[in-house]
Amino acid sequence: MSNDPNKKIGARGYVLPALVVIFSFSLIYTVVVLIPDMTMVKIHPSEYAMEYVQKDEKGEILRDDKGIPVPNAAGRGRKVYIKEGCFYCHSQFVRPQDRDFGSRVYAGDYANETPNILGTSRTGPDLSNEGQKLPDAWHIGHLRDPRAYTPGSIMPSFSYLADEDMSDLVEYIQSLGKKRFEDPKNRQIYEAYYPEADTAFWKKSEHHKPNVDSAAAANAGAGIFRQNCAVCHGTNGLGNGPNALAMAKKPANFSEPFYKSYSDKTWYYRIAEGVPGTRMPRWKLKLEPEQMWYLAAFLKTLPQEKEVIIEPFQTINDMDWEDQSSLPQRLVDTYENISRMKDNGTYKTNPGGEIEGVAGGH
Amino acid sequence: MSNKFLSNEEGSSSKFFWYSAIFWLVIGMGAGLLGALEFSFPDLTKGVEQLSFTRLRPAHVNTVAFGWLSMANIGTALFVIPALCKTKLFSEKLANFTCYVWNFVIGAGFISLINGYTEGREYAEYREPFDILVLVGLSLLSYNLFRTVLTRNVKKLYVSVWYIMGAFFWMPLVYLVGNRTFVAMDGLNDGILNWFYGHNILGMWFTVLGVGIAYYMVPKMTGKPVWSHSLSMFGFWTIAFFYAPTGTHHLLQSPVPEWLKALAVIFSAALVIPVISVLVNFYMSMRGSWWMLTTNMPLRFVLTGAFWYFITCIQGPFQATRGVNWYIHFTQWVVGHAHAALLGTFTFFVIGAMYYGIQRLTGRRIYSVRLVKWHYWLLLIGFLLFFLSLTIAGLQQAVGWALAYPVAQWSLTLVPMWMVRSIGGTMMFASSCLFAYNIFMTMRESSITPKDQLDIAVPVEEGK
Repeated sequence: MSNDPNKKIGARGYVLPALVVIFSFSLIYTVVVLIPDMTMVKIHPSEYAMEYVQKDEKGEILRDDKGIPVPNAAGRGRKVYIKEGCFYCHSQFVRPQDRDFGSRVYAGDYANETPNILGTSRTGPDLSNEGQKLPDAWHIGHLRDPRAYTPGSIMPSFSYLADEDMSDLVEYIQSLGKKRFEDPKNRQIYEAYYPEADTAFWKKSEHHKPNVDSAAAANAGAGIFRQNCAVCHGTNGLGNGPNALAMAKKPANFSEPFYKSYSDKTWYYRIAEGVPGTRMPRWKLKLEPEQMWYLAAFLKTLPQEKEVIIEPFQTINDMDWEDQSSLPQRLVDTYENISRMKDNGTYKTNPGGEIEGVAGGH
Repeated sequence: MSNKFLSNEEGSSSKFFWYSAIFWLVIGMGAGLLGALEFSFPDLTKGVEQLSFTRLRPAHVNTVAFGWLSMANIGTALFVIPALCKTKLFSEKLANFTCYVWNFVIGAGFISLINGYTEGREYAEYREPFDILVLVGLSLLSYNLFRTVLTRNVKKLYVSVWYIMGAFFWMPLVYLVGNRTFVAMDGLNDGILNWFYGHNILGMWFTVLGVGIAYYMVPKMTGKPVWSHSLSMFGFWTIAFFYAPTGTHHLLQSPVPEWLKALAVIFSAALVIPVISVLVNFYMSMRGSWWMLTTNMPLRFVLTGAFWYFITCIQGPFQATRGVNWYIHFTQWVVGHAHAALLGTFTFFVIGAMYYGIQRLTGRRIYSVRLVKWHYWLLLIGFLLFFLSLTIAGLQQAVGWALAYPVAQWSLTLVPMWMVRSIGGTMMFASSCLFAYNIFMTMRESSITPKDQLDIAVPVEEGK
């Protein structure tokens, strides 16, 4: 209105646009942040939510002088995980399409997680279900010198971590997905399930499919089993191969009655797709469908009548194997036991793979 | 004493912000380069915790985002706003004081981040004391600039003023709600809030400032008015409405509510509208002036930024759709995309603005045009190598994750990509060092030149 250049023009004419900017931003903030918070933060922790605080016998949270909850080893380890920036390369959410990282993670599972470490980049694998897959000592060694354990890895070395931080961090890693894995519900999901709907998968499997019930197929499968599987599952499929020593989640013992429920297709699917969340690989990356059917034929013949306990091997598996200094001696002892049993005739095997008379042998 | 450290001279705060920004550019890019080299040579800094990749990464991100790009943009805003309002900055002293605060935050923040003193949320790693200082700095700047606009001597606000004022309104709020210091939430909500913040410092700060600066620079450098003022305002309002709710597209396959994901996808796709409007406006404004790219280096920087803006912002909406995100998420493709936005687009914009503005404010010709050209080509080719190698690496990783092959099986195929990335990074780092040297020598060696001879900005030698 005024043409006087010295007069201040101020905000005249721009009040309404300014109000629109302010209003629109507040509206967006409410919808995108506050409403999810109001509807979601109240979710109760699910049964798989991780615990990061110490509790006394009554289940009350322990607090220090300032009223701050005292973290447990996993809680301290989580702080190390964040401080060292592990979450920049390792995500912690399993997407519907991820087949190699175990069960999916749902909103309630994150209840005690703060700050969030969902992650945005997978330069390394997802760690949602990493716990219990591998023993503590493997993790410590791997964190100190990753390339000695996984050649070609580009993970930085965390050899500078103090021993306390290292053990807390490993405690945290071992707690990831532990509850989920231990829940029998989840175990059934990946052990007795195969997707009929995956037509491409089953169509491919029909290629050169042998007769799974024939003795010849089972014989062929036994050879493939000893070459590829025995190193973890043991020559007789009892879950006691040498690699089992170094695993926290033990390989399956096929003498358990549970495996009686397996159909041919379940066997085939499990061999092909592996067991998510464990070290069991997806064999379809290495074996042909025909070979996997042979394996299924062999696995069907394994004794499933009763659970067999073989004392000498079980003691190796159950030993506190972190105490590695005693490992060679215990192996020697075991084999000495076996040879002693062979000498005095208490050690017997039958062609089906079942070992008799061992349990009471010494 | 106070005059020496808190100068009241016109334009001093702009220069202070710019020179600090160049310093942090060299530091931040150096940290990024070292981090990139550790992809190729993982044991390069074994045993030195401060130089481990995981410590360098937040230090790099925060130093280039808040140290380099924010400070360079702020310096440009402090230069552009008074020029467009035909008045002086409300308080040069206050702006200079803010720059001291800001420099302290970036320096102390860098040291604290490489020592592991972190908040642990991407883009919000600075801890409580720094958060408070950043917010103080942003508030002081907003106050300063808003007061400048209120005391202007032109009636109508040019579109750049809208953009820059918008940025200085949104950014303090985004920073306030995005940091755990001020607002803390549990579990997944923390993730939602994290990405509301993480995406909006890009959308409501870097994009808005960058586009605002480019809207000033393109007409100024070509000497022709912007093609359509109403189209530019349309772009401003669509950015204001569409950008803020998009953050959740970083969490598309996580267990956050489906309606929130849908909202994020729809608004992300809608971002094509402001982007196209901005680019159409730039390219139409350039009609009849394209020849200037051969002689005018600052303009060349700005227009290259506009090219990368096109690449980034076409990638962005597509990446945010569920189908593409399904495949691309979690891979290095996204890292390439993020760099195309912050380095390819907004860094190019602001470097052009700095070459233009530093000459105007000091009255000195740039020391060496040859170095400017080296800077341009090293940065452009280095970034092309960087961007393409990360994009290809991302596609390789995507295959690995989609078919669920074990990482060990395909990680070695990425080795050449990491090498190319490091080479590109080295070129960009070298270009930044040349930039810093050139500006330093301009201060020391160049003589004062009459204003009318600066108009061609950086002429080529043979053109004279």
